[in-house]
Amino acid sequence: LPICPSGSAGCQVSLGNLFDRAVKLSHYIHSLSSEIFNEFDERYAQGRGFITKAIDGCHTSSLTTPEDKEQAQQTHHDELLNLVLGVLRSWNDPLLHLVSEVQSIKEAPDTILWKAMEIEQQNKRLLEGMEKIVGQVHPGETENEVYSKWSGLPSLQMADEDSRLFAFYNLLHCLRRDSHKIDNYLKLLKCRLIHDSNC
Amino acid sequence: QPPGRPELLRCRSPEKETFTCWWKPGSDGGLPTNYTLFYSKEGDRSINECPDYRTAGPNSCYFDKKHTSLWAIYNITIKATNKMGSNISEPQYVDVTYIVQPDPPVNLSLEVKKQVDGKPYLLLKWNPPPLADVKSGWLTLEYRLRLKPEDGEEWETIIVGQQTQYKLFSLNPGKKYIAQVHCKPDHGEWSEWSSENYIQIPGDIELKDV
Repeated sequence: LPICPSGSAGCQVSLGNLFDRAVKLSHYIHSLSSEIFNEFDERYAQGRGFITKAIDGCHTSSLTTPEDKEQAQQTHHDELLNLVLGVLRSWNDPLLHLVSEVQSIKEAPDTILWKAMEIEQQNKRLLEGMEKIVGQVHPGETENEVYSKWSGLPSLQMADEDSRLFAFYNLLHCLRRDSHKIDNYLKLLKCRLIHDSNC
Repeated sequence: QPPGRPELLRCRSPEKETFTCWWKPGSDGGLPTNYTLFYSKEGDRSINECPDYRTAGPNSCYFDKKHTSLWAIYNITIKATNKMGSNISEPQYVDVTYIVQPDPPVNLSLEVKKQVDGKPYLLLKWNPPPLADVKSGWLTLEYRLRLKPEDGEEWETIIVGQQTQYKLFSLNPGKKYIAQVHCKPDHGEWSEWSSENYIQIPGDIELKDV
């Protein structure tokens, strides 16, 4: 099947191809998320004990997701696909604000800003790709728009620097975690749906 | 004297399904000293004790699949106790997601072969570490090879990607070579190198770059 120039009618990218692109993107997004977290951690979080406060702190923890291989393998692919969509959607809003608010961090290096912008854009692309994948796996079915609302903007804008830095730390910690989950589930789904669990 | 403070040294998961932590005892104060690992896991207030002190050897705790969750922070401390008192290590915060280091690949084999056009090459093949579930996609591994002549100093390192075999065309006839392979999960640390494997390239064949 030809790789479709955008918008060309009647031309469809194969499911296998869609998954290849999605996995490349999810891998890239997690690598960037790790880098931006590590960079922020080294520059702003050393010795502040933020990790202890980050426990149970992710806005997406309301989305029940598999925690180990057995749970993931016992989860039907429809449910796993919808979970991936739900987690991705849950990050649209915070990533948008991360990009704008990062610029207010004292002496924030350009690399942190660039990565925030790149992650925000790639997250949108991955979400589009996932909607195409779900559209092919279940043509015609209306998706259930499950996602977890984020209400962390005020904490990113707090006057107290320590609280504000912790808010950024926690957001980046959760981004690193959720991007790894998405990457892991997509690689599992790709092997299951495209390679009959024989990668 | 009460025992010295123990220290959690390291935790590692070989396949993103279980993990092990090791600690270094402090001074024992000249008395028989007992060590207990305590942990709590994100999303669960309870404090638990190490499920298995034996499997991974002395001064270690092994968390089997049932006790291992990804994407959750474990708060781990070690307590040393003797007749005179006790001492507790600094708490360590561990997420199994980020401590994955696989075992080395296995069954590295080397064989001189010929293409249909008669051109000889060296075929290197190996298997993923047995514990790693690559088939289902739970773990994605990439590989790196290294080779050097037996009498040479410098290793030549080759980034192979996710495949488990590699064709090498440029070798010197009559030379004996050493080869090793190691692997890395998509997000994690490189394994140790595999055990060495050797091959003597026959002297009567011409191996040229393509």
